[in-house]
Amino acid sequence: MAVMNKNIILMIFFVGSESFFFLALIISYIYFSRTGGVLSESSHYLDIKRTGIFTIALLSSSITIFLADVSLKRLNRKALKIWLSLTIILGLIFILGQTTEYLKLYKLNFTISKNVFGSAFFTLTGFHGLHVLIGLLVLLIVLIMLMNGKFKTIEHTALSSAAIYWHFVDAVWIVVFSVVYLGALI
Amino acid sequence: MKLNIHIPEPTKPIPDIRTGEGLLQWLSTVDHKLIGIMYLCTALLFFVLGFGEALMMRIQLMRPLNNFLSPEAYNQLFTTHGTNMIFLVLTPMLLGFATYSLPLMIGANEMAFPRLNAFSYWIFLLGGLILYASFFAGGMPNVGWFSYAPLSERFFSSTKGVDYWVISLLLMGIGSVGAALNFVVTTLTMRTKGILMNQLPLFVWMVFVNSFLILAAFPVLNAALFMILIDRQFDAHFFVSATGGSPVMWQHLFWGFGHPEVYILALPAFGMVSEVIPVFSRKPIFGYEFIAASSVAIMLLSFGVWAHHMFAVGLGTTFNAFFAASSMLIAVPTGIKIFNWIATMWGGSVQLKTAMLFALALVVNFTIGGLSGVGFSLVPVDWRLTDTYFVVAHIHYVLIGGSLTGGFAAAYYWFPKITGRMLSEKIGKWHFWLYFIGFNCTFFVFHFLGLLGMPRRVYTYPNLPYLGTLNLFSTISACVFGISFILFFWNIFYSLRHGKIPGNNPWNAWTLEWLTSSPPQQKNFEKVPLVRSRRPLWDMLHPENPDWKRENKSKIKT
Amino acid sequence: MGRILNSIHRFFSEMSRSSSPNEDYINKLFLWFLLLSAIIMIIVIVAVLIGAIHYRSKRYQGEPKQITGIKWLEITWTIIPFLILVIFFYFTVRFMKDIDQPVVKDQQADIIITARQWWWEMQYSNYNITTANELHIPVHQKLLIRVESGDVIHDWWVPELGRKIDAIPGTSNYSWLEASDTGEYKGACSEYCGTQHAGMRILVISETKNEFDRWVQEQQKVPSPPVDSVGQRGMRLFSERTCAGCHFISGTVAVSHIGPDLTHLASRKTLISGVLTNTPKNLYLWLQNPQKLKEGSHMPNFILSNNELEALLKYLEDLK
Repeated sequence: MAVMNKNIILMIFFVGSESFFFLALIISYIYFSRTGGVLSESSHYLDIKRTGIFTIALLSSSITIFLADVSLKRLNRKALKIWLSLTIILGLIFILGQTTEYLKLYKLNFTISKNVFGSAFFTLTGFHGLHVLIGLLVLLIVLIMLMNGKFKTIEHTALSSAAIYWHFVDAVWIVVFSVVYLGALI
Repeated sequence: MKLNIHIPEPTKPIPDIRTGEGLLQWLSTVDHKLIGIMYLCTALLFFVLGFGEALMMRIQLMRPLNNFLSPEAYNQLFTTHGTNMIFLVLTPMLLGFATYSLPLMIGANEMAFPRLNAFSYWIFLLGGLILYASFFAGGMPNVGWFSYAPLSERFFSSTKGVDYWVISLLLMGIGSVGAALNFVVTTLTMRTKGILMNQLPLFVWMVFVNSFLILAAFPVLNAALFMILIDRQFDAHFFVSATGGSPVMWQHLFWGFGHPEVYILALPAFGMVSEVIPVFSRKPIFGYEFIAASSVAIMLLSFGVWAHHMFAVGLGTTFNAFFAASSMLIAVPTGIKIFNWIATMWGGSVQLKTAMLFALALVVNFTIGGLSGVGFSLVPVDWRLTDTYFVVAHIHYVLIGGSLTGGFAAAYYWFPKITGRMLSEKIGKWHFWLYFIGFNCTFFVFHFLGLLGMPRRVYTYPNLPYLGTLNLFSTISACVFGISFILFFWNIFYSLRHGKIPGNNPWNAWTLEWLTSSPPQQKNFEKVPLVRSRRPLWDMLHPENPDWKRENKSKIKT
Repeated sequence: MGRILNSIHRFFSEMSRSSSPNEDYINKLFLWFLLLSAIIMIIVIVAVLIGAIHYRSKRYQGEPKQITGIKWLEITWTIIPFLILVIFFYFTVRFMKDIDQPVVKDQQADIIITARQWWWEMQYSNYNITTANELHIPVHQKLLIRVESGDVIHDWWVPELGRKIDAIPGTSNYSWLEASDTGEYKGACSEYCGTQHAGMRILVISETKNEFDRWVQEQQKVPSPPVDSVGQRGMRLFSERTCAGCHFISGTVAVSHIGPDLTHLASRKTLISGVLTNTPKNLYLWLQNPQKLKEGSHMPNFILSNNELEALLKYLEDLK
């Protein structure tokens, strides 16, 4: 632990704590979607292919932020800016995908109060979306710091901490996507 | 008061709240000591409210079919009393002592994240105020501190009280998680040179372990709270059985948090007495490794016992048997602690100061609470006792007999360090005996009430044999119990002016907080010597017989 | 001295009353547990007292010997409690299985108990009877009860007759009910269920087979319509003043099951879910202002005139 910065340790434990939040939501989702007796009539609302494409955007943003972190360690500020901006764009694409999906469902009259499946679906994906938004905000702040000339040394942990959070958000999505979208196929 | 005045660096360790500058220093502080004191004062303030609520309930229950309170008022009172005492009194009390003492005990000058520390406090306070704001928004919550669905759904509780309750708990949950993160990182990164993880003072160790409990348990509660809020505000169906939801799911989620929460409140108190008993027995703690390891065992096991709150739900024999086993198992590490504390006293040179008396009261009263807890793990017995006054007795023996008593031990122990004055031992002894007698008389009879068939959370009861007499006895004892708190407040008030000046180390204790001045300056330590054992101050005072020689002999990893 | 001992004995036997095989199991386990607790408690208190008194510091005493622990002692007090708990676990599971004997699939419950805010409805599936708040059972007969809820979570609990069982909306819970003596047993809802949780009491009457059969026959009868003019007016008022909108009285236009079934109201011992004894005066007061006797109850105040009250009272009092 001695080599680790306290900001990074904080982020690791924070993310650990958050995972219990999502664990509770995911278990509830599985329970409610299976027991409410409404899965079959509701799962056809989900567009797996379309969401799959946006999933790829989010997952690739994990790679770009990793490359951004590598660039920071090499003090390659130009590459850092590019990779970070790319991460933010990919994150925005995902949010855009989710927003349009919600709008489409809303038009189909599939809402949070439609049935217990709707409640569980919107709550789980909604809280994940909220986390992506917060992550984007953090990355944006990091980008502004970068533009203002911070990150001259590799001691700066803001980006590394944000990256841990971002990887976590991605990892949660892998589980959510598997449980919600792929799970609906079963 | 002008708000644009320049905030000077604090010159005094405890700024004077009556001056504009002093007040601003309090409001803007990120110093762990001032934040710790604010937590403790908040706990005292809310304690007065919570105790007032309890007294009103006791007056209502004084005799059968009493008309002092309406049922609605009673239900709001017991809900607020429970939430208040757990989240607004015991939690800030424990967080306060931890925030104040933890950095001092590991020789650090600050918490790892001072601003996060201040944020945790203020958001916690906001949560507390929101709970009471419901009073002005059409009624306080009236569905119990456990808010069982579907009673807590909008269809059955249409007032805003439950919404306020949910938001209040969410904010306090966020505050607690922030504080826990801070404790973990502080313990891991801010230790002064030489302290190994297996040389932490036990209070620090318990807070450290406890923080993991908070980090894992509160998010589960928050998830459940969000779900019920979404149910209430957006007509979702999570816990509404009529539309496919599951009221039992709420119970799983709530107790998934709720049972660890009981240990969240107990572990730091265990840590406190693990500091107090050795100092006043003049011996090191007996079986350090066993106490430390048993805390970890409690932490892990506490996540596997939640459904012993749900034996009457009818979840099946196998399910019940599993949770009976885990609930019995958790009694073992708790018992280890009790025996170790007693063994610490044996062969020692025991000084019965007030702090020590409270620590011993914890050992006795928590044993009663722990044993009645084992009773609930015996499923058939639980079918008889759950949701009766027996449980009310149990929870008060655990939370008052355990946590609050530990808090008083800590208060008498650390008061000289925090304020630079000793609490009066004379008033303290009166406080202790009235507290001990008042507490036991008030709550022990609850066991009998439960066995006689009195359900809990009832605003009145029929005139059946013994119920009236026992309830009256309990109400009178509650007044004695109340007087003990008045003595405590008076003791603080009196001792702040006239108390003895303690010097750095009035108790001849061994942990690092007693190395610095009382109260510590804003910078805690100018210089901390290399720590080589669990009792650095013992090593300094007894160079001929230092601990580190002994500890190294018994081959503790270094 | 003898009198004191006697009253202590009375007090403790009051707490361990049992009139059913199930409660006998519970009492037995509780007694063993109590013995164990008492022994542990005595050990702890004596040990603390020895620590506080015998090892109390004397003046001019130096620091005592610094002992940090004895390993075999630690292991002893880890293993002994563990072994004791293993024994208790064995009996927990055994008694649990004895009390909660499995229900055969599709087995019909003898009595269906539905909990509502804040009263109980009991249906006897074999006899086609519905009653409220007062359960009659034949002694020495093992009955299967099905406990359900019409609104929030409640809990069926009659201490002398064994385990409590939650009434959960959307779920059916089963439990066995058997009384080993005749008599009246008082119980109460044991899960907080809202404003009048305290006003949701239970009365179980265990009778001999003959008495029970007679009671069943009485209950199965359709009450004869009133013959006197006051009673007839009461019957008319019952439907006019919307009482019939919530209540059920066999053989009349009152067919709703929102409130308690009143077909044989006058035969019951208590009123308003065990809150009051069933006397004309109490019934009068209840009809006059239900909110005064049971604040928060779902029965509204109909603001009836004295005349109307007298008529309704006469009608209801004749529903034997």
